[in-house]
Amino acid sequence: MRKATMKTKIHTLAALAGLAAGVAAVSSTTEASAQEIQISGPLAGASAVRRIRLHREGRFDVAPTATFTLLDEFRRNILFGARLNYHFTDWFGAGLWAAGGISYNTGLGDELQSKAVDGRNCSENPNTLACKRTAVNLCRGPNCLGDKQLGSIVWMIAPQATFVPFRGKFSVFGKAFMDADISLFAGPAIVGLRERVDCVKGTCAPSSTNPDPFSTASRIAPTATFGLGFNFYPTNNVSFGAEFRATPLAWNTSGFDVAGPNGSGADDALDSNDRSFHFNPMVSVFASVQLPTDIKVSD
Amino acid sequence: MRKNQAGVGLSIALALMIAPLESFAQPKKGAATSKAAAAAAAEPDVEAPEGETPSGEGDAAAADGGEAGGEAGSLDELCKIDPENCVKVDMDAASKRDIDSDMYAVQQIWALRTNRFEINPYFGLTMNDQFVAHNGPGLGLNYYLMHWLAAGVNGNVYAGLNSQSDFNFQTSRAARIGQPITEYQWNVNANATFVPAYGKFAAFSNFIFHYDFYVTLGGGAISTRPIAVVDPDNRTFAFSVKPTFGAALGMRIFFTRYLAAMLEVRDYVFWEDLENPSISSGLNSVGKPLAQDPTTWLAPESSFTNNVQAQLGLSVFLPFSWSYQKAK
Repeated sequence: MRKATMKTKIHTLAALAGLAAGVAAVSSTTEASAQEIQISGPLAGASAVRRIRLHREGRFDVAPTATFTLLDEFRRNILFGARLNYHFTDWFGAGLWAAGGISYNTGLGDELQSKAVDGRNCSENPNTLACKRTAVNLCRGPNCLGDKQLGSIVWMIAPQATFVPFRGKFSVFGKAFMDADISLFAGPAIVGLRERVDCVKGTCAPSSTNPDPFSTASRIAPTATFGLGFNFYPTNNVSFGAEFRATPLAWNTSGFDVAGPNGSGADDALDSNDRSFHFNPMVSVFASVQLPTDIKVSD
Repeated sequence: MRKNQAGVGLSIALALMIAPLESFAQPKKGAATSKAAAAAAAEPDVEAPEGETPSGEGDAAAADGGEAGGEAGSLDELCKIDPENCVKVDMDAASKRDIDSDMYAVQQIWALRTNRFEINPYFGLTMNDQFVAHNGPGLGLNYYLMHWLAAGVNGNVYAGLNSQSDFNFQTSRAARIGQPITEYQWNVNANATFVPAYGKFAAFSNFIFHYDFYVTLGGGAISTRPIAVVDPDNRTFAFSVKPTFGAALGMRIFFTRYLAAMLEVRDYVFWEDLENPSISSGLNSVGKPLAQDPTTWLAPESSFTNNVQAQLGLSVFLPFSWSYQKAK
């Protein structure tokens, strides 16, 4: 009988020990919050985020893009293209973006055509002071600025590495939720430009031997590109977003003679001295498909 | 026999440890579970220990397993084990209160804005005027009537900071055209701010920060004047005030519950008076040259102007801390 009572006590003590351990485990987890990793306790050293849908890891990302140049001086460019990335991890990928498109005059370009070219009509009045002073810098004829003088970006190819340091989610009015991330990308770029053709002093202005020396030509400029992307994932396979990109490059957007060698002033010649440095900011909008369709989830 | 006894104890311990941890990791359950959780989450008057800052949770944590549902017996035992973190709930009184069955998708928002003031110093950079940069400091003050709606004012000071660009000089020289340019003195606006979207990001799966997007609509006044470029010998302009209106799109990233970095793109729209591109010739009725008559200095029509600024600054929310009405 005593033995039986003793056994019961031991069972009770073991059960209480288990209960105490369980209660201790439960009570220690109640303080955890998403913002603060506990210094001590079972979550110490644990990842701040778990069970993340890995939208990028081991997947291709195929996205048609529409790109709009910003802060344009005389010509605005719209480039249509595509981006193809492969993501080795959820935070690192590599790929290619390529685009080409159209350009048109900005308000300033149109105003210049209207007032300084069409208004002066230098083809008919070549000896007025304004026409003589602008003979090197302004073409003559309807729509000549856009057709024969102003510079534009015609195409771009950019192999680029993509880093995704920020990953999270997004709520609209506390009702609709989407996964989201912020990506950074950088890489070399090859830019196809259209610029006014170079000319040496004495050949840049209209003359009896060459009444129309204004024309544009293609130039390929190697440079670098970098930027920032906002990506939203309404489903496991489809995303959309926008990228802000800069492509630093020196080029002549106006077709004007503005400088000579060694920083001197205008020299009545068109050459690389007349190019000025631009960051060439542009924004791309895209819809993207992630392949394969299966998505991994982190621990 | 002893092995069996130890096994029983360990099994119970394991069961108790696994059961709650498993429930925390569950994905969202159906309506039945949510209702039960809602009843628990609607528990009123649960106060954090004195001096403790509120700890928020951006997710529907309660919906994930009903962690907010406590039983009196369990609470008593927990309080004995850890009195400092004891949550004091009068279960009898609480059980008699009406239950708000609404379940919020996001509870205890980490950086709650309701009934808080926002002080927002920033610096504005011109984005769309290639001829003159109108950069300058600004200050915004907002009061959040609701988490997603604020009323407030902001103002910018441009005086002394307008700067003409090289592009202006090069274009004027090369094409021999005088582009009408202006300088700004100040502007003030009354605003309504809407915050429709917010979220959180994990940086390298480690550091978590919260952010929101907002839209601002507003109107006010701006003081500007033309800079004389066509006939600077005769023309000098005084500042004049014009009505302005516009909209902004912005983003805030919270470092703490009361401090955030902000970036906003704002378009201030107004009708601008520009310099007359032509110089009047002849004399007026009193024999004075028309070129010196101020009534001939302005262009006959006002110009619709968009002053687009990038505004980068900080947001400080007051008061620094608050109490949540409902438990998680």
